[in-house]
Amino acid sequence: MSLSQFIPFLPEIFLAVAGFAILLAGISLGKRGARGLSLLSLGSLAVTAILIWVVGRPVEGAHTILGGMLFVDTFAVYFKLLTMTASGIVLLMSAGYLERSDYSPGEFDALILFATLGMMIMASGANLVSLYVGLELMALSQYVLVGYFKLELKSNEGAVKYFVLGALSSGVLVYGISLLYGALGTLDLGAIRAALTASDTVNWTLNLGIILVGFGMLFKVAAVPFHVWTPDAYEGAPTPVTAFISVGPKAAAFAMFLRLFLGAFHPELAQWRIVMWIAAAATVIYGNIAALTQDNVKRMLAYSSIAHAGYALIGIVAGTAMGLWSVMVYMLIYTFMNLGAFGFVIMLETRGYAGERVGDYAGLAKRHPGAAAGMLIFMLSLAGIPPTAGFMGKLYVFSSAVQAGYIWLVVIAVVMSAVSLYYYFRIVVEMYLKDGDEDEPAPLVRDRWLDAMIGLCVFVTLFLGVYPAPVVGLAQSGVHALGLG
Amino acid sequence: MNPTMIPIPSAWILYLSAVLFVIGAIGVLLRRNGISIFLALELMLNSANLAFASFAFRFAGASATAAHALNGQIFIFFIIAVAAAEAAVGLALFIAMYRRKETIDVDRFNILRW
Amino acid sequence: MHIEHLLTFVTLGPAAGALILAFIPGRLEKVQRWAALLISLAEFALSCLLWANFNPDIAGFQLQTAKVPWIPQLGISYHLGIDGISLLLVMLTTLLMPVVIIASWRSISEHVKAFHISLLMLTTAMLGAFVSLDVFLFYVFWELMLIPMYFIIGVWGGPRRIYAAVKFFIYTMVGSVLMLVGILYLAYSNHLQTHVWSFAYSDLLKAGRQLQMGHSFFTSPQMLVFAAFALAFAIKVPMFPFHTWLPDAHTEAPTGGSIILAGVLLKLGTYGFLRYNRPMFPDAWHAFVPLILVLAVIGILYGAWVALVQPDMKKLVAYSSVSHLGFVMLGLAAGTIASTEGAVLQMVNHGLSTGALFLLVGVIYERRHTRMIADYGGIARVVPVYTGLFLLVTLSSIGLPGLNGFVGEFLILAGTWRRYPVAVIFAALGLIFGAIYMLWMVQRVFWNPFTHEENKSLKDINLREVLAVAPLVIFIVWIGVHPTTFLSPMEAAVRSLLMH
Repeated sequence: MSLSQFIPFLPEIFLAVAGFAILLAGISLGKRGARGLSLLSLGSLAVTAILIWVVGRPVEGAHTILGGMLFVDTFAVYFKLLTMTASGIVLLMSAGYLERSDYSPGEFDALILFATLGMMIMASGANLVSLYVGLELMALSQYVLVGYFKLELKSNEGAVKYFVLGALSSGVLVYGISLLYGALGTLDLGAIRAALTASDTVNWTLNLGIILVGFGMLFKVAAVPFHVWTPDAYEGAPTPVTAFISVGPKAAAFAMFLRLFLGAFHPELAQWRIVMWIAAAATVIYGNIAALTQDNVKRMLAYSSIAHAGYALIGIVAGTAMGLWSVMVYMLIYTFMNLGAFGFVIMLETRGYAGERVGDYAGLAKRHPGAAAGMLIFMLSLAGIPPTAGFMGKLYVFSSAVQAGYIWLVVIAVVMSAVSLYYYFRIVVEMYLKDGDEDEPAPLVRDRWLDAMIGLCVFVTLFLGVYPAPVVGLAQSGVHALGLG
Repeated sequence: MNPTMIPIPSAWILYLSAVLFVIGAIGVLLRRNGISIFLALELMLNSANLAFASFAFRFAGASATAAHALNGQIFIFFIIAVAAAEAAVGLALFIAMYRRKETIDVDRFNILRW
Repeated sequence: MHIEHLLTFVTLGPAAGALILAFIPGRLEKVQRWAALLISLAEFALSCLLWANFNPDIAGFQLQTAKVPWIPQLGISYHLGIDGISLLLVMLTTLLMPVVIIASWRSISEHVKAFHISLLMLTTAMLGAFVSLDVFLFYVFWELMLIPMYFIIGVWGGPRRIYAAVKFFIYTMVGSVLMLVGILYLAYSNHLQTHVWSFAYSDLLKAGRQLQMGHSFFTSPQMLVFAAFALAFAIKVPMFPFHTWLPDAHTEAPTGGSIILAGVLLKLGTYGFLRYNRPMFPDAWHAFVPLILVLAVIGILYGAWVALVQPDMKKLVAYSSVSHLGFVMLGLAAGTIASTEGAVLQMVNHGLSTGALFLLVGVIYERRHTRMIADYGGIARVVPVYTGLFLLVTLSSIGLPGLNGFVGEFLILAGTWRRYPVAVIFAALGLIFGAIYMLWMVQRVFWNPFTHEENKSLKDINLREVLAVAPLVIFIVWIGVHPTTFLSPMEAAVRSLLMH
């Protein structure tokens, strides 16, 4: 292995260094400088993105580096840029929020960067070792972020619950990996795929290993029945953290999910498909039904994110090239619409955990028509109504499943997305059709950065709803990396 | 290897690791004390270590698969390192909780619906 | 302007207009109203241009726009075109829009800007659904209709508006999501045969016809896809027993909303049956005809029966819609050329008559703020012009010869008679009921003894309101006296639809 192999790894190295630098800067600044540090972190993300473009891009076709630990391919670049964009938006959204809170911004920003680093490694991991390390780097940063408001009992509690169940899932994942290793003797994704293609006997150690790894991944994407941590972690976490963990880590987890199941384990499709079918159906049904009765918006969005994980799983069940790129597109669309919705929740949280009840939104359209219109678009998109991006995302995923012959799964999913309208529109009803408390109207946070980020999300949600072709083209270029037609 | 010693069959080690894994998983789900949960988590990770070690030992035994042994052994080190980081984060979270509630009984963490 | 862009202008014109309105400050309410009115009048002028350029001898789609790829990965494109059937419905839509805006001149006083933007967006969606030649594009427009209508009911509606709006939304949404699966399945089976993704109407038409029939409902792809489409359309029509959202939506919606709902939105359901279910799934259609006939007849009788006992004028008109659309479905189910032409004409008729009825009920409601029949009585002497107009529209609705309703109903019944005489007998019973409940209402409102003193100061219909109702009355008479004007453009299209 020569030193030149490290060149494509420079973005990650840079981001790690930048993360530590910001951590140190944050210590000296104390509780001040939230906006400056956010900008600095955003800047380091931007430099990382440029580095990815300059050196981390598969110019001469996909290949692996560092002794087969990491892929350099378009799939990795797609998810790296996606998760970095999500992190960047969260950084800008959270600056004002941290300013209003009693907590220092330095560790917060550094943790976001470390989590991003973990996600980048998850997106490009070519070996179960690197994937596992990337996953843990992301997860450990997330646990701390959820408990970041260390004087708030809710935040503590969410973090502890998240940690316990997250660590449990890591244990399951690692044990599954050990069984895989025992059956095949390798941890390299390419070698696993080759071995699985070559053998046609049913090996129970192997299948158990795949299923356990699948359980671990289902936990990370918050699919039923491994979703129990989601509502608590989402409700307990500071809202920018909720926004963060609902998109970036989910996209990264899906990247790893796709790498493993549509890449390495694809030859065993027939064995694990039924498990994913059941998980997808259960997730879509449970997430949507449970969201119906939630009065806390963050909790409702938590269940909605469970449901969206279910929709994306449908693409994995399809198991085709189209299923693969449809999930990639879905994750991108989901990232923007969900970040926008959470940005709106941040906007309402002028003090502590206020503005989380559905009732707090009453009559908002009268007082703040622009903000309400933005939220309307996100709700429409999450519910999957044209002409928003959410509809296009669902269209691709559902088409891939129909193409693979899973019509009934699609029927379940579309019926449930009709059900989802009810709870998304509870917020719309409150905003537009009800009159709020005129004597004491809920104030909105006036924060230019937050407005700008929500505006960006609105733009992307609408643009991709009308013209999704470019993103689809981008995602399709990542398909070959996984060896699907 | 000393010829007078009868080696423990690697399958036995595997069974042991499976038993430890199940004990650990059940412990995480059923125990209510934070420290016990922690121990159970460590048990799960180490059961995986044991499984890796036993597989690696088996691979090392045959010359055809000897090259595979290293993969598993390396993974063990990563798990140990990650487990240490996990312990640091987890204990910190429990301490933060303890400062506020003066208990680490997870049943008493009940502001959020479990 | 190149002729092939005409349909694009007609369809997207209102949306562009909505964009213009968005830039006019909301406090300039007068400007908003005038701008919206001018846009809608321009729309009507454009659609008259459509009519002028339309060649009635061609059966297929004409005035087609160029096919522009929209989502190339799935072969979805932007492609519009009209035949005689959609031409009539486009004309109906663009005719009703200015009427709605004039009718809402006084009654909508809050959020004027948002109301007109919603209205114009709704127009684009409805027109788009009528003229799409790509099934996916049709679905997008179809879904797009929901949001503005939801707001029109929910924001400007009556006291129970939230309930009505949510009910409308959930009902129609549940129906239409399954249609999406049906569309995807059709595209998939087309892909299986041709190895090309396409959502073009002409391609899916072939794919639908080739779907297997199977032995039972659940093993028959054609029946299942048929049902997925039919559910969406049946809810929209609405056919018995999916009609329960309609009375609520109508009662709570503002006058303008009711006019659009009855005038155009419901027509999309019957249009869908005619455009999609009938030619795409001919075998399944034949299997389902008895069921559709029975439901249509039940709808006719049930709607009439319930309308009879309504104390609220608007609710009475709403239930009469259920009954009238039963006639349309009967004509479609019978499937003869006469009955189908009658059904299409009756769609237009119902839009005109019921739209006018809602408009007139709205006129009196604005004055007295009650729609209860019992609150009126003998007001013919106080408001003679209004009474005359109301009577005329009522007579058109119950099918008096010489007015539009008669032509449509006669064609439907005559066309159906040859195939399903029993259904015609029951439907004729509904016709008699219809005359009874409408005339009984007119009698109680306009002629019974004058009991309520406060009605003495009732002002007669004013010029603005006359202007709103005049176009409807003109067409009511025109269709009644000279129906050929409207029957001839659709004849070729109906013939070609029924050939399969």
